[in-house]
Amino acid sequence: MLPRFELYQPTTLPEALGMLSETGGNVRPFAGGTNLIPDLRGGREQARKFVSLAGLDDLRFTRFANGRVEIGSLTTVSDLHRSHEVLRNAPALHASATAFAGHMVRCTATIAGNICYGSPSADLLPPLLSLDANVTLASAAGLRILPLSRFNLGYKQTALKPGEMMTQISWPQPARGTVQLFYKLGLRKGDAISVISAAVSLTLKQMVCTHARIALGSVAATVVRAERAEALLLGRELTEKLIGEAAELAADASAPIDDLRASKEYRLHTARVLVRRLLRQAAEGPGEAGSTRRSTEG
Amino acid sequence: METSKAIKLKVNGKQLELLAAPNSTLLEILRNNGHVEVKCGCEKGDCGACAVILDGEAVDSCLTLAWIADGSEVQTVKGIGTEATPHPLQTAFIEEGSVQCGYCIPGIIVAAKVLLDENPDPTDSDIRVALSGNLCRCTGYTRIFSAIHKAAQVMREGAQKNG
Amino acid sequence: MVETVPTATNSPNVQLHQVGKPLIRTDAPNKAYGNTLYAGDLTMPGMLYAKVFRADRPSALIVKVDTARARALEGVRCVLTAWDLPDRLVVTDIPGQTGGKTKNTAQPILAKERVRFFNEPIALIAADSEEIAASARDLIEVEYAPFPGVFDRAEALTAGAPLVDGDANVVAAYKIRKGDTERGFEEADLVIENSFRTQVQEQAFLEPEAGLAWMDDKNVLNIKVSTQVVEHFRAIADALGIPHNRVHIEAMYVGGGFGGKEGLTIEMMLALLAYNTRKPVRLILTREESFVNHGNRHPFTLHYRSGVKKDGRITAMEVRLIADSGAYSKLSPYVLLYATVGAPGPYKVDNLKVDSVVAATNNLSTCAFRGFGTMQACVAYEGQMDEIAKSLGLTPLEVRQKNFIHTGDRNATGQKIESAVWSEQCAIQALEALGERAKGNDVVKIGRGLACYQQSYGRIRWFKDSSEAWVGIEVDGTVIVRCAVTDIGAGQSSSLAQIAAEVLGVPMEKVVTYFGDCTLNPLAGTSSASRALYMTGNATKMAATKVRDNLLEWAGRHFQVPPDDLQLVEFRVTAISDPARSMPIDELARRCAADGVHRHHLAMFKAPTSEGLDPETGQGEVFPDFTYGAHACEVAVDTETGEVTVLKSVGAHDVGQSLNPQSVAGQIEGSALMGQGFALCEEIIQRNGVLVTPSFSEYLIPTSEDVPETKAIILESRSGLGPFGSKGMGEPAFAPVAASIANAVADAIGVRIFELPITSEKVINALARKASGQVKMH
Repeated sequence: MLPRFELYQPTTLPEALGMLSETGGNVRPFAGGTNLIPDLRGGREQARKFVSLAGLDDLRFTRFANGRVEIGSLTTVSDLHRSHEVLRNAPALHASATAFAGHMVRCTATIAGNICYGSPSADLLPPLLSLDANVTLASAAGLRILPLSRFNLGYKQTALKPGEMMTQISWPQPARGTVQLFYKLGLRKGDAISVISAAVSLTLKQMVCTHARIALGSVAATVVRAERAEALLLGRELTEKLIGEAAELAADASAPIDDLRASKEYRLHTARVLVRRLLRQAAEGPGEAGSTRRSTEG
Repeated sequence: METSKAIKLKVNGKQLELLAAPNSTLLEILRNNGHVEVKCGCEKGDCGACAVILDGEAVDSCLTLAWIADGSEVQTVKGIGTEATPHPLQTAFIEEGSVQCGYCIPGIIVAAKVLLDENPDPTDSDIRVALSGNLCRCTGYTRIFSAIHKAAQVMREGAQKNG
Repeated sequence: MVETVPTATNSPNVQLHQVGKPLIRTDAPNKAYGNTLYAGDLTMPGMLYAKVFRADRPSALIVKVDTARARALEGVRCVLTAWDLPDRLVVTDIPGQTGGKTKNTAQPILAKERVRFFNEPIALIAADSEEIAASARDLIEVEYAPFPGVFDRAEALTAGAPLVDGDANVVAAYKIRKGDTERGFEEADLVIENSFRTQVQEQAFLEPEAGLAWMDDKNVLNIKVSTQVVEHFRAIADALGIPHNRVHIEAMYVGGGFGGKEGLTIEMMLALLAYNTRKPVRLILTREESFVNHGNRHPFTLHYRSGVKKDGRITAMEVRLIADSGAYSKLSPYVLLYATVGAPGPYKVDNLKVDSVVAATNNLSTCAFRGFGTMQACVAYEGQMDEIAKSLGLTPLEVRQKNFIHTGDRNATGQKIESAVWSEQCAIQALEALGERAKGNDVVKIGRGLACYQQSYGRIRWFKDSSEAWVGIEVDGTVIVRCAVTDIGAGQSSSLAQIAAEVLGVPMEKVVTYFGDCTLNPLAGTSSASRALYMTGNATKMAATKVRDNLLEWAGRHFQVPPDDLQLVEFRVTAISDPARSMPIDELARRCAADGVHRHHLAMFKAPTSEGLDPETGQGEVFPDFTYGAHACEVAVDTETGEVTVLKSVGAHDVGQSLNPQSVAGQIEGSALMGQGFALCEEIIQRNGVLVTPSFSEYLIPTSEDVPETKAIILESRSGLGPFGSKGMGEPAFAPVAASIANAVADAIGVRIFELPITSEKVINALARKASGQVKMH
C-alpha cells in the first residue's frame, strides 16, 4: 500500500512545467514510477506531490538525424530495447537496455527516470556517459542543456533544480567504426542490480585510438568516467600493454564501497577486468555493430 | 489533498468505471473490483505475478498508478483466453505440465502473450528475456519455455491456414 | 476400517492404465485460465482488514506497549497484544499428526516481556480498511530496554553467551556412535578433513501468506488459509481455549510452500482477530512480512573428517554439525536429526561418529524447507567425496561406487535399507546425459559436478504417522476422493484423483478430489517430508480398492463369474473370460446402490513406526524409507570475473513408480533451479539479527535468464512404500543439486569454495588463494 499523495496529470509540457514551478518546488516529476513507487511504499521517498509525465506523449521518441541522436525523456527502456536504430547506432545502450531489470519494468521505466534517480547502478548511464550525452532540462523559465557528466552530482543527487524536468537526451553520432560495448556483472543473469558495469566507446584508425570513452557503474557515488584512462589511450596504438595500463587507470578512477552485493576489493578487481576485456574486444575490431555482451557465457 | 475519482478502464473488453485514489495502483483497483486473477507477489516490480497487458504492453500493475492507467485498455489472463475459448498459450501450459502452484502463471501468460504478439517465432533467448521479470519458484521454467514454443508453433500454423 | 503396515516390497504392478501416464493435472486448467482462487483472493461482506505490528529490533526487553492511540482511531475494531490473549503460548510441535507436543517448542503468539528476533509480532490490528489498519499500526508505540542478543551459532553455545530463552541455547543435540572410528582412522591410508558452511535460504514461494477467518452461525471459527498443514486447528483451538471441533480450517490451493507454510503461517493471527471481533477478518502479508514470518532454511557449519583406503573405500567418518535455529525452536530438533542421520550420505560407513547441535540465537527463525537438513549435509559429504577422489586420483564416480550403500545394508542409525538403491545407475545416467563437454578457454573454465544423496520420505517413525482418505462412487459413475491433504502445487490432489481413477477404472476427469479441509475431510497429515503422495496415496488406494472390491463382488454375483475374473477399465466392468459380460460403471454403481452395496470407504494408512533412537549411540529406525538418485551438472566459470554459469543440469532419480511422469519431471526441473539458487545466488543476510535482504530486490532467486539446459531422468524400481511402489520425490530431487554445482565449480577452477553461496566474489577470492599457494594441500 502506498502512502497518500497528490498527483497532477498535465497533458502538455508547458502545463507540466507550470505545475512543477507553481507548487513551490516541493513537487516531483513522476515518469515511469518504477523506482518511485517502491520508494514510496518503502518509506524512502518523502515527497507527497507529484506531476505525472505520462500524458506527455511528445516526449517519447527516438530520432537519428543530422549526425545527432535525440531521445525523448519519456522513452521507455523497452522502446530502446526494441529499436533497431538504437541497436545499430548505440549498441552499448541497447545492451544496457536489454540487461535492464525485468521485461515489465523495462516497459514502464523511462530513460530520464533512470538518469534522474541518480543511482550509481543505473544501467543506462555508463553507455550514455560513454556517448558524451547531453541532457536537456526544462523549467517554466526555459531550457538548459547540460553534459550528462555534470548532471549526476552524487549519490541520488542531480543537477535538477526545483521546478525542472528532463525532456531530452542527445549525443552526436559517433564516428564510423566506433566500437561501443557494455558489460554488466550482477549476482544473477536476469533482472539483477549491477554489481559493476562498464561501457566503452572507442574509435580506432589502424589500431590507433582516436577517441576513447570509458564509463563505470556501481564503483562510486555516481557513474564515473575514467578520464585518465581515456587520455592515455588517445593517439596511441591499442596494444595489450596499453590496454593493461588503461585498465589500471580506470580502476583508479573508481572509489567503490562494500555493500550487500560485493566488496570494494572485488569491484576494483572487476573494474580492471571489465575495462581490459572491453578494450581487448574493441581492439579485435568493430565486428558487427551489436557486438555487445552482457554476460560471459561461451 | 485530492480524493478519489472515477477512472475509466476497459478490462478484458468490458468498459468499467472504477473509483481510485491518487495512490491506488492498478493492481489494487483490479483486485478490489473482482479481478483477483491478477496476483500480488511483491508490490515492487520484482516478481511479475501482477503483470497485465496495458494498451498492448506488459506492465507490472503494482507499479502502475490507477490514475495514469485512466482511459486505457487492460487485458488480464482471463481476457487472453477462457476455458471456452482458450488461448494456445493456455492450452500449451496445461498440456506441457507447465503449471505447478500456479501463482505466477497469470503473469507469465501475460508476458508470453505480448511476446508472441510481437514475435511469432521467438528463440529460446527471446523467451528468456521476455520472462525476465516473472519469477517462478516451482517449475524451473523448463516446461514454461517448451509451452511457449509449442503455442508459438500452433499459432504460426493457425496463421498459415487462415492466411 | 482397514489398517495395514506395509512391507517394503510391493508386488509387481498389474497393468496400469492411468498411473504412469502424463495425464493433465486436475488443477492445471483453472490455474492457466486464472480461475483458481487462492486464500488472498477471498472476500466476505463486512470483512475487516488485519495488520501486524512487529518489533523493529532483534533483541530487547519490552517495557511498555501503548496501543491507546491505535485503538482510538476511527474504524479500528480490534487491537490485540500478548496481554489480551487467554494463552500467550502456542505449541505446535510435530505439526499435523496426532497433536503430540513437547514443552520446549512453545512459542509466544505475540511478544510480551521480550523481543527475541527481528520483526517478532507484538500486536494485531483489525480495522474497516487496510489503510486504517496500517495507520493504526503506525500509532502503536513500544518502549524497549536494551537486552543483549547473540547472532552467531558457535558463540551462542559458549559459556556466558546471552541466553535466548530458558537456561541454555542448546535447542537439541544428537550423537551417532557406530563401529569404531578410532580403528577406522588407523586403517585409513589418507585422512581428509574439511569444514563447510551453508547459508540461510528463503522458500520464496510466490504467494505470500494469506487467509480469511470468520465465526459462523454454528459458533465455529472458520479459517480459509494458505497452508501446508490443516491440523493446526488443534493448536489454534487450544490457544483460544475453545474445543477442537469448533475450529474449521480449509486450505486453499497453495501458491507454493516448500516447508515455509508448514508451521503456523497466519492462522493464529486470523483466529484471534476473528474470534475477538466476531467479524470476518482477512490478512495478507506483504513480501517483506512473509520473509520474517516463516522459518527459513537452517544455516549449518559442517565439519567432516574422513578416513579412506587408497582404493577409495571409507574406513571412518567423524562429523560435527552446528545449526542455527533462530529464536524459537520450531522444527529445529527434527531438521538437525535429519542432518545427523543423513550425515554419511548414500554411503556405507561402518565406523561413524556424528555430533550435532542446533543453537538458539536472536536471528530469524529457521524451520522446515525442502531438503530439511539433509541437503545441507549433502553439500558437505559430496564435497568430501570429490576431495577424496581428487587426492586419490580417482574419478568422482569411482570413489562413490566404492562406497554406495546397497539394499540390505544398514545405514547410519543401523536401519536396514529395504528398498532398491539405484544410486549408481542414477549417477551413470546423469553423467551420460551431460553429453559432450563444452569447450573452455584460458579465461572460461568448464567443470562438471556429480552429487548423490539419500533422502528420506515419510515422517519420523516415532511420530506414528497415519493418513486417512475416503473414496466413494456416485450413481452416475463419478468418483469422490475426500482427503484433508493440502495441495501446495506439486499436484497432490490430482495424484489422488489419478490413483482413484486407476483403481476404479474411470477416466480421471470423472474424479473430484476434495482436499485441504480439516473438518469435512478425513485428516491426512501434512504436505511435508515428501510424504503426501506416499501416505495419502496409499490411503486413497486402499479406500478405492475396498470400493472396487465391493462393486466387483456384486458384479461377480451378477455375471456369475468370480470377482477376480472382472476388470474395471475404461468405465466398464468386464469379465476377462467372457467380455460379453460387461456393463458401464455408472450402471454398475446404480445397481449396487439399489442393492445396498457400500459404494464408499474410509481407509487409514499407517506408516511403519519405531520407538526412537538410543540416545547414546543414535541407533534405531528413524524413517520409513529413502529415495536415491543423482544430480550432475556442467558449469562455465569466468576466472576473471568469477561468474558461474550453469550450462547443463541433469537430475536422475529412482522414483519407484512415477504416478505422473510430467509432474515428477516438474519436481526435478524445479529442484534443479531452486538448488542452483542455493548454490550460487540466494542468501538471507542478517547484520546483528537485522534482515538486510528483505525483498526480492535483495534476495535473488534464479530468473528465466539463469535457467540451464535442464533434463529429468526418471528411473522406476517400483520398490518404494508409496502407492504402486512409488517413492517420495518432492525433496529428493532437490537434495543433491547445490552439492553438484559446488563440485562442478571446484572441478572447473581446481579449488573448492567451502561456503555457499558461491558468488562471483568468492570464486575470485578462491582463485587468488590458489594462486598465492594458500590452498590447503592434502
